[in-house]
Amino acid sequence: MSDSGERIGKRKFEFRWNANLNVLVIWLVFIAIITIAQVVSLLPGQYPTMVSPANLSNIFAQVSATGIMAMGMAMVMIAGGIDLSVGMLTSFVVLYAAKSHVDFGLSLPMALITAVLFAVAMSAGMGFIISRLQVEPFIITLGGMICFRGIALLVVRSQEVSMKGAMDPLKNSVMAEVRDPAGLIVNVPPYIFIFLAITVIVWIVMRFTKYGRRIYAVGANRHAAYLAGIDVKNIIFSTYIINGFLVSIAALILLARVNTAIITVGQNREIDVIAAAVVGGVAMSGGKGTIWGVFIGALLMGTIENGMNMLRINAEWQFVVKGLIVIGAVSTAAIVAQIQAKRQLRVKQDAALAKSAIDKVIAEEKAAE
Amino acid sequence: MSEARELLRLISISKTFPGVQALKGVDFDLRPGEIHCVCGENGAGKSTLIKIVSGAYQPDEGGEIWFEGEKVTLSPLGAMDLGIQCIYQEHTIFRPLSVTENIFVGMEITKKGFMQKQEMRKRTKEVLDYLSSDIDPDELVGNLSAGEQKIVEFAKALVFDRKVIILDEPTASFSVTEIENLLDIVHKIKDRGIGVIYISHHLDEVERIADRITILRDGNLINTCASSEITQNELIRQMVGRDASLFYNREHFTPGEVILEADGLTGNGVADCSFNVRRGEVLGFAGMVGSGRSELMTLLFGGVEKISGSVKLFGEEVDLQNPRVSIRNKMCYITEDRQHSGLFLIHTIARNTIIANLLISSGSFYMPKKEEDVGEEFIKKLGTRAKNAGVLAGNLSGGNQQKVVLAKWFNTEGEIFIFDEPTRGIDVGAKQEIYRLMTDLLRDGKAVIMVSSDMPEVISMSDRIMVMKSGRIVGELDGNDVTEENVLELSIGGRKI
Repeated sequence: MSDSGERIGKRKFEFRWNANLNVLVIWLVFIAIITIAQVVSLLPGQYPTMVSPANLSNIFAQVSATGIMAMGMAMVMIAGGIDLSVGMLTSFVVLYAAKSHVDFGLSLPMALITAVLFAVAMSAGMGFIISRLQVEPFIITLGGMICFRGIALLVVRSQEVSMKGAMDPLKNSVMAEVRDPAGLIVNVPPYIFIFLAITVIVWIVMRFTKYGRRIYAVGANRHAAYLAGIDVKNIIFSTYIINGFLVSIAALILLARVNTAIITVGQNREIDVIAAAVVGGVAMSGGKGTIWGVFIGALLMGTIENGMNMLRINAEWQFVVKGLIVIGAVSTAAIVAQIQAKRQLRVKQDAALAKSAIDKVIAEEKAAE
Repeated sequence: MSEARELLRLISISKTFPGVQALKGVDFDLRPGEIHCVCGENGAGKSTLIKIVSGAYQPDEGGEIWFEGEKVTLSPLGAMDLGIQCIYQEHTIFRPLSVTENIFVGMEITKKGFMQKQEMRKRTKEVLDYLSSDIDPDELVGNLSAGEQKIVEFAKALVFDRKVIILDEPTASFSVTEIENLLDIVHKIKDRGIGVIYISHHLDEVERIADRITILRDGNLINTCASSEITQNELIRQMVGRDASLFYNREHFTPGEVILEADGLTGNGVADCSFNVRRGEVLGFAGMVGSGRSELMTLLFGGVEKISGSVKLFGEEVDLQNPRVSIRNKMCYITEDRQHSGLFLIHTIARNTIIANLLISSGSFYMPKKEEDVGEEFIKKLGTRAKNAGVLAGNLSGGNQQKVVLAKWFNTEGEIFIFDEPTRGIDVGAKQEIYRLMTDLLRDGKAVIMVSSDMPEVISMSDRIMVMKSGRIVGELDGNDVTEENVLELSIGGRKI
């Protein structure tokens, strides 16, 4: 096709209200928050600087685990599912890995590998039930969440386990000697790079592979996907397996960070993860959302928390603000969708009116003949 | 009881939808204690008529509705208050509730805010006794058979002393004894002085119970007469004869070799269906709504598991156990419900266009740029009216949505195309374009199987027609036998009850 080359050459970025607006809103909120925090920090007072190498690396370090989990959650949700068990699965991995290394005498690599395998198996079990029996993922993973909590507590007999610094290499900064202009240590732990690498890989999978498109298709219209030759059951199954794997990686990062394995490590973490995905534009109904949106969503939630800490807003208010941001993000998306639907309807109505007017004229002409 | 007083009279009722006039100045009346049957092909305007009577639609200006001598405007609730009840094809029941609870739901008898269960149960029992039914008023409706559920709906109408009952295809999917039972009950309802509007595709039923018959065609009133004055053949003759402008004149080709042979397909509510399709021809499937045509297509494509039967493709037997196998074997399935099973409404045209191609193209990657190019290519090829391939499928009109579905399948290496109601809900211009695209397929030596409830469409597009009824193929029409009369006779006549 001779003209297609020409057309490709001319193709420009075109703003799509339906696809780009959500991302734009998230970006604007993101920038607004950083700006506010930065302005406040420049005012005379005791506030630390928001935009500084030390603080930015802190934010990344803080959101890495949640961000990795949000990637897995995004895949599950885009395929039309949800996973409430990720928090307690995190606790299980953390407790099991620590206990098996410290008390059961497994070598560190063995402890970590078996922890990952267990997590994948547990998540796959739920995925298998959800995909084969077509039951509500909300309920199955709720059951999984309760169950994993019990298993985790059984492993450690409800006690906490200290890792005694066995996983510090994952935590220690790769740039230990670097300080920013203000003299603060810039902390760049290696797991930040794991977070970035996973983001890029998931992005490539979701955007450039057939598998990614199948995930979107299954979430958008399961029945149509099946009739278009997609192995719906196994696609859904696979998203839970991948999610289990990513959760276990995130859990090990958390273990390295906190050094002490305790059940509260994963508690309520599913809330933050789902919030990051939803703020990033992933729809609960499936089929929608981009990986960079989720990346920004995770960063946004982390930045808000960080910013509020800097402004010394107390924890109670932080919950209120985070909750409002989730509500705001989803409502904005809904408002945009409604405005669009109204505009579409008007176009269709105009077309129908025009058509009936034309038909009338034609009928009158015929009658005149 | 048999005073000639009128219950309901419609005068010069028209109803226009965008692009189609469903009713054109129809008169209709109903007397107490009579069964008035409404007959016509699919799309003749029967459903629109009963929706106007039940208040779901408002007639166009100029039409009048009189109820018991008074001019009225009907709304769904208003019609209910006047005593008009419609019993639809799909059951409107609450399966986890008992028979009594179903009858009184929303209209419970209460005393000081407490439900009078005994009173409600007693009234239910009385009515069920009158209908000679042994259904237990405390039984959960979910445990009843389809026929018994229908009886519960009749009982509801009697409990509340309805004056007009509308029955829309009440015997669809019923067994012979259930039909027998139901017709008895309709007679009992009539004996109470209730006016019954009865819609059925089964002319034997109509002949047996009708007092009067009204025939509609293309939204026009053709005839209203006493059922004793008309024979079944005459009835069919009046139902056919659609406007010639509705027919499409397509190029015909000499059929090539047989590429699909189905033998004794059974499952999904259809039984023992055998047929074959040749290159360059359209095999039409005609029959009334609910005759099992779409079910047969889903079964053929592997959308549901089959019980027995076999399929030969290109001379070799293939087990089409799921859509993946079918697509790899060059089959395409354009379903009847675009929005539910054909399109990804929240995705772009481009994404919709490539989704079935994922299975047959090689490699694991599919670049977004290629996706967009393919989307644009098919927009051009099929003449889809959209700004670009990035428009969401959900934002297109019906005809353009159908073109996106076609693009999805044209973008596979398909040779056998199953079209289920290819032009439903599509305006006339887009219809012609779809027909042209189908003809192009035939010219390329591909085979088309088409299910259609639109009589002019199935007559003018098909080379051969298989007629289905009650889940079975009841006849094959070929060449000069492809006429409206023959199709109708096979699909609605001759049922033994």
